[in-house]
Amino acid sequence: MSRRTIGVVDYGVGNHASVWRALHGLGYRCRISAEPDVLSATDLLVLPGVGAFGAAMEALHRHDLDEYLKHRSRDGMPLLGLCLGMQLLADASSEHGLTAGLGLIPGNVEPLDQRRWHIGWNSIEVTKEDTLFRSSDGQSMYFNHSHVFRAPEEYQVCITRLERAFPVGVRRGNVVGLQFHPEKSQNSGRVLLSSIIEGLCR
Amino acid sequence: MIRKRIIGVITVKNGWAVQSIGYRRYLPLGRPEILAENLDRWGADEILLQCIDRSAHGLGPDLSLLDRVGRLGLSTPLIYAGGIRTAQDAITVVATAADRVLVDSMLWDDPDEIGRSGEYLGNQAIIASLPLSIEGHEVRWLNYRTGISAPFSDRLLKDLAAGTISEALVIDWRHEGQPLRFDAALLDALPCDVPLIAFGGLSDAAQLSNILRSPRVAAVAIGNFLSYREHALQAFKQNLVGLPIRPATYQQSSDFCAP
Repeated sequence: MSRRTIGVVDYGVGNHASVWRALHGLGYRCRISAEPDVLSATDLLVLPGVGAFGAAMEALHRHDLDEYLKHRSRDGMPLLGLCLGMQLLADASSEHGLTAGLGLIPGNVEPLDQRRWHIGWNSIEVTKEDTLFRSSDGQSMYFNHSHVFRAPEEYQVCITRLERAFPVGVRRGNVVGLQFHPEKSQNSGRVLLSSIIEGLCR
Repeated sequence: MIRKRIIGVITVKNGWAVQSIGYRRYLPLGRPEILAENLDRWGADEILLQCIDRSAHGLGPDLSLLDRVGRLGLSTPLIYAGGIRTAQDAITVVATAADRVLVDSMLWDDPDEIGRSGEYLGNQAIIASLPLSIEGHEVRWLNYRTGISAPFSDRLLKDLAAGTISEALVIDWRHEGQPLRFDAALLDALPCDVPLIAFGGLSDAAQLSNILRSPRVAAVAIGNFLSYREHALQAFKQNLVGLPIRPATYQQSSDFCAP
């Protein structure tokens, strides 16, 4: 099997270096870039991100990456959104006013209604028969967020719980989003990252 | 269920990891990168890398050290403290390797920059460093650059209550480095309900257990007392029975590679 190449979408927002190092540590070749030609030459795109939704969408637009990501994912290229990168897959977010997202998975991003933040380690529950996620059921992952992607149930793949359950993993075909940071979730994160990448690229 | 965290602290002075005792005595431990690797292998829930001489000397964040630590490819969330003066400093620190930032001098010098940092990074990335003591019956907040303690400022309390800051690191600075000396009364010092991280003089599993049972405490941070034996962190975790703690783990990055 040839060694897979992962494109990390660099739109000037977030923790690209941490994501790159995690993927590199798993043995993948990585390209961090904002150039469509470079990204299109990879097997899977990772959309990382930390911070505010509106600023991130603005940055994607400024780099001409919003339309690119929509086209590539609709053409079937695997796309994995992490944390804020997952939220950007949604139709819209109400963070700091209503902002349109990439619209790749139906649903909206809303503030957590149970607490101000969800910070730290929490276990995930896989709610769908999905081979990409199956082995991670019950595993603890690292979360650091204040908003939630409210996707319809058919697109939810895993949830976590505070006082109540809420979605933290979404999938629509070749597009997957994770609210947590698998790149910072030690062995449980590495197992899931590898499973998703291998599953989507198969 | 969200777990309470055990944070491994690496204190750095003049580029070297040190044991810090009462904010005035420092004993060398070695290279910060080695300690970071150990904490990552031992399954710390977060790592705090705090460079204590950056703000005092106006040096800004130690991006070179942060880059070296980042290159280790740690899979444990990293909090960085030291020399963060502006929102741009905080953003650069996160872009280099950190997941969250701990701010101290910014709380005194330019609190507006904290809000700006949060606008870009999200408030969940911002932690306040609060070295506290109880003098008589009054809680005092130490400005470590001047060595002068004062009551909380109205602005600090406002920012904590408003959620501009996600967590407060409550440091018992007088008892830092002294076993079993953390003063639990400090955990009641803040009038608002910001989640707390306890630090300074925490050395024993029974003591940690008591502190972690407080509903306001989200995490404990341990520095010196992780340095005296191998796998100290797992040993603490194994003794915190009945608490919502992530079980002790041993990370072996070489075990898992892409096919």
